[in-house]
Amino acid sequence: MSDGLNYKFLWETFFVALSGVPITLLVTAVALAIALPAGFLLAISRINKIPILYRLAQAYVSFVRGTPIIIQIFIVYSSVPLLLDLFFKKYSIGIHVYDVNPIWYAFIVFSLNTTAILIEVFRSAINTVDKGQLEAAQSVGLTNFQAYRRIIIPQTLVVSMPNICTATVNLIKATSLGYAMSLQEITLKAKVAANVGYNYVEAYLDIFLVYLILCSVVEYGFKLYEKRLSRYKLTVA
Amino acid sequence: MEKYFDSSYIWGAFPALIPFLKVTFMVAGFSVLFGTLFGLVLAVAKIGGNLFFKKLANGYTTILRCTPSIVLLFLVYYGIPAIGNNLGIDLNHIDKAIFVVVAFSLQFAAIMSEVIRSAYESIDKGQYEAGVSVGLSPFQVYRRIIFPQALVVAIPNFGNGVISLLQEGALAYTIGLIDVVGKAELIIASNYQTHALEIYLALAVIYWVLSIIIEQFFLKLERVFGRGKRSISAA
Repeated sequence: MSDGLNYKFLWETFFVALSGVPITLLVTAVALAIALPAGFLLAISRINKIPILYRLAQAYVSFVRGTPIIIQIFIVYSSVPLLLDLFFKKYSIGIHVYDVNPIWYAFIVFSLNTTAILIEVFRSAINTVDKGQLEAAQSVGLTNFQAYRRIIIPQTLVVSMPNICTATVNLIKATSLGYAMSLQEITLKAKVAANVGYNYVEAYLDIFLVYLILCSVVEYGFKLYEKRLSRYKLTVA
Repeated sequence: MEKYFDSSYIWGAFPALIPFLKVTFMVAGFSVLFGTLFGLVLAVAKIGGNLFFKKLANGYTTILRCTPSIVLLFLVYYGIPAIGNNLGIDLNHIDKAIFVVVAFSLQFAAIMSEVIRSAYESIDKGQYEAGVSVGLSPFQVYRRIIFPQALVVAIPNFGNGVISLLQEGALAYTIGLIDVVGKAELIIASNYQTHALEIYLALAVIYWVLSIIIEQFFLKLERVFGRGKRSISAA
């Protein structure tokens, strides 16, 4: 082992790690695009107690939040395709599971995961909006849909913005586990580079720096957006 | 292969996996202990008047919050021996569990410092003044008035922290720790990668049940410590 850090490698690998950012952001964006509406709808179903949907959503949230993401990845990425492959072969269906780009598995795992977290975020946020507001909206002749779209949802968004930010940052961090499904994101790219000269400390420092920059930018963006949203919020003071 | 999915493997996996929970618990337990202690120090720095320590503690929290656990784990795993190497100490052969505990303590401390800080700040300052004004010493006020109330506020967040720590602890297998996940990987390898789904499902069920138990435990705890609490709606 060499003494001190290999600065040349540190510098070069930083850009290798950086080249994984687009995939990380793509997975994050797709997961959010699916999870935000899905989480909101399921949250409403939990609150309005549509019995079957409500129970299913409850079990789903409990399972996803109760198990490590890495195990969810194992299940979706390494086990299910094996069974599917055998199934397709048996019935000679021409789908080759192992040719599928791992990014599709990443989309599945991370959107399922984020949905479960956002259900809880939205549920608690909807609960903070006073029920009287819905009744007031109905009393002036708005339909339920209109009331949600124009009154409940905007307020819910303002209340839940900090938690959505946390969920987004956690999602970005969780995509680092994408290496387990050979997703070409930040961690895997730098890890592969590290294998060449056993420069693991340098590689992980680079990954660390890239995540630090990425998360700081995202947090800053959310802060700005929150500030903009809060202009519409009237407080007693 | 005659059967693609054999549920008997799920049942067979439990007795093989459960003994290894000991390692998982040990690692999580020590991380919670050291993380809470370090988190307390950070929280004091955040609450206290010294601007330098405050900035330092806040910076630490921000940085750790942006670091994926797996990256922190590997930084510690490769970084500590490298630092030791430069100082002329050989740290290459210490137990892997120690690296895991160090990494997760560092991370848990960042979470705990925020939990403790927000719990402390949720208590009205007037209560401290009221306590002092009736002749209690500052220590007595903290022990008898501030701490019991802050504890009730902190318990749910502490519980969430413990559950997420337990789950992130699942990553310890990546540096070769044989905990419950590591054992599952060994079982799958010895099955020539077949019936992986059944083993992983067993693993998922174990974690699921653990999370539910911890969740219920903290709910109970909250109820016990919050007994004297009155909210506006109950008045």
